[in-house]
Amino acid sequence: MLPNRDSHFSLSLSALSTPHIRRHSLHTPLPPATVFIAILIFISTGARLFADKDILIIKVRERMAHRLLRDAEADGWERSDFPIICESCLGDNPYVRMTKADYDKECKICTRPFTVFRWRPGRDARYKKSEICQTCSKLKNVCQVCLLDLEYGLPVQVRDTALSIDSNDAIPKSDVNREYFAEEHDRKARAGIDYESSFGKARPNDTILKLQRTTPYYKRNRAHVCSFFVRGQCTRGPECPYRHEMPVEGELSQQNIKDRYYGVNDPVAMKLLSKAGEMPSLEPPEDESIRTLYVGGLDARINEQDLRDNFYAHGEIESVKMVLQRACAFVTYTTREGAEKAAEELSNKLVIKGLRMKLLWGRPQAPKLESEVSDEANQQAAVTHSGLLPRAVISQQQNQPLQAPPQPPPMPYFNIPPLPQHERAYYPSMDPQRMGALIRSQEGSSSGPPGSNENRSGSEQQHQQAQQYGYPEHGAPSGSILPTILPAVWPHGTASSSAAV
Amino acid sequence: MPKVKTNRVKIPEGWELIEPTLRELQAKMREAENDPHDGKRKCEALWPIFKIAHQKSRYIYDLYHRRKEISKELYEFCLDQGYADRNLIAKWKKPGYERLCCLRCMQPRDHNFQTTCVCRVPKHLREEKVIECVHCGCNGCASGD
Repeated sequence: MLPNRDSHFSLSLSALSTPHIRRHSLHTPLPPATVFIAILIFISTGARLFADKDILIIKVRERMAHRLLRDAEADGWERSDFPIICESCLGDNPYVRMTKADYDKECKICTRPFTVFRWRPGRDARYKKSEICQTCSKLKNVCQVCLLDLEYGLPVQVRDTALSIDSNDAIPKSDVNREYFAEEHDRKARAGIDYESSFGKARPNDTILKLQRTTPYYKRNRAHVCSFFVRGQCTRGPECPYRHEMPVEGELSQQNIKDRYYGVNDPVAMKLLSKAGEMPSLEPPEDESIRTLYVGGLDARINEQDLRDNFYAHGEIESVKMVLQRACAFVTYTTREGAEKAAEELSNKLVIKGLRMKLLWGRPQAPKLESEVSDEANQQAAVTHSGLLPRAVISQQQNQPLQAPPQPPPMPYFNIPPLPQHERAYYPSMDPQRMGALIRSQEGSSSGPPGSNENRSGSEQQHQQAQQYGYPEHGAPSGSILPTILPAVWPHGTASSSAAV
Repeated sequence: MPKVKTNRVKIPEGWELIEPTLRELQAKMREAENDPHDGKRKCEALWPIFKIAHQKSRYIYDLYHRRKEISKELYEFCLDQGYADRNLIAKWKKPGYERLCCLRCMQPRDHNFQTTCVCRVPKHLREEKVIECVHCGCNGCASGD
């Protein structure tokens, strides 16, 4: 990617960006006498310790206000040639036109003037500009725009807790201490002295690999929400460049750039960390003979060799079977221990060619179900019922409370993973109990799935049975809506023995 | 200020025919100048000025160059008195700029990356179809559309 760096800056910017910085509204002008005395004291003490910071404050103020651009370098006004930004902020377009304005704004963290770059990260994006200076961004190894880590795309707090880095005490946060620290740091960096940069040395650990962002996230480059639209007053209509959507309010809306930078009290980070803590680890299945792992989220670019490369380290691979239709693969180990080891090590961390993979345990009869799955890959939940039916029947026999389709057990038979989400909007016909998976001996006992108000008269059952097998649609007496593309032929023989819907 | 005629000017013939329209346009301009700015964006408040200036110049340009209803003398008279913008009309005579909205939109020096305003881009080459250019509120002044 070669962004087209344009060193022209717009006339308006150059004309207006006088070196005189507007930020000194906070600092009250001091009477000259005080300054004089202060500088005297400073000179007399000689040493430049932090204990002298009061004096330093005065001195710096005066310096900044009076010297303006003459001593740009000495005063620590930063100039740079290219921003330090992450992929998401740079955008998806390989051609980027960027304006560069020296000393255009002050850094949001250390309030020193710095070079502002402004560009548009893609067609449907707003214009983004660098918000913090390069010194601050190098100190925390974050992007100058979004303040997320450059390698992992995570907030500072998450990265620091995951890698157990604690540089927080070293960076002063108040007033001119901060400016002084930044200046010193900048000076050292320019002189080439290697400060303790702990970011290169930290080895990526499991947690961070689990949490990191693997692909760039361009949704954060969208335009802001139109505040007039929120009030119902947007008169710009179709040419309004802002988003006409309702804003999503919540705990995450109260973010603060300083908190995010220092890694303190960041709501996004806390949410991410709590999610990380609860991420389920893949539990070994009870059935000891299962040595197969299901790998989901495959792509055309990933081939068998990639899978082998990733999995061979944990044990001897017996076979690798790829099912491209379902974008998944099955890796079978010769030993159970190998499979367990692989599951443990790779469970949330498997990333091949930039794509995150989903890892689950496979079902022992995987080969047989696979072929069925690939045959009927275009058919919906009905197919997966072929996997569920036997289990549901078994659970029925054991008189367990009915929980089958909405909550598949942690050790599922081989299931197509998207199924659990489908179940949320589930139709009666998706429930094997209703569609006749009951064993005849049981049909008197359980009353079917909770919430059902089906009429289960005996006569109806008899009547239904004949029709059941061929026409599941007509089988449901109630007015429930059925998906119309249920297969006419039920895959297993297990359904035939039962009755009512 | 061209509207106040301090010098004694010789009015050429044909003036009585175009005078009413010109007076009307002038009144419109005065109204636009005195409009309150409430409810409008900062740039939006200036758009009517540009629009009416375009209209005035257009009227005179049409009369002379297109319909040929007034004499050269009268035309020059109008330009001198400030009823039309000479520079804008000069652009209209060039191919590709027949519908130019204002002189700012065409000036690369006034824009980032030395481009023209978005209103100069033909609609079939643009991504956003509905735009209002920030200088003069123009919807699209490429000669094609």
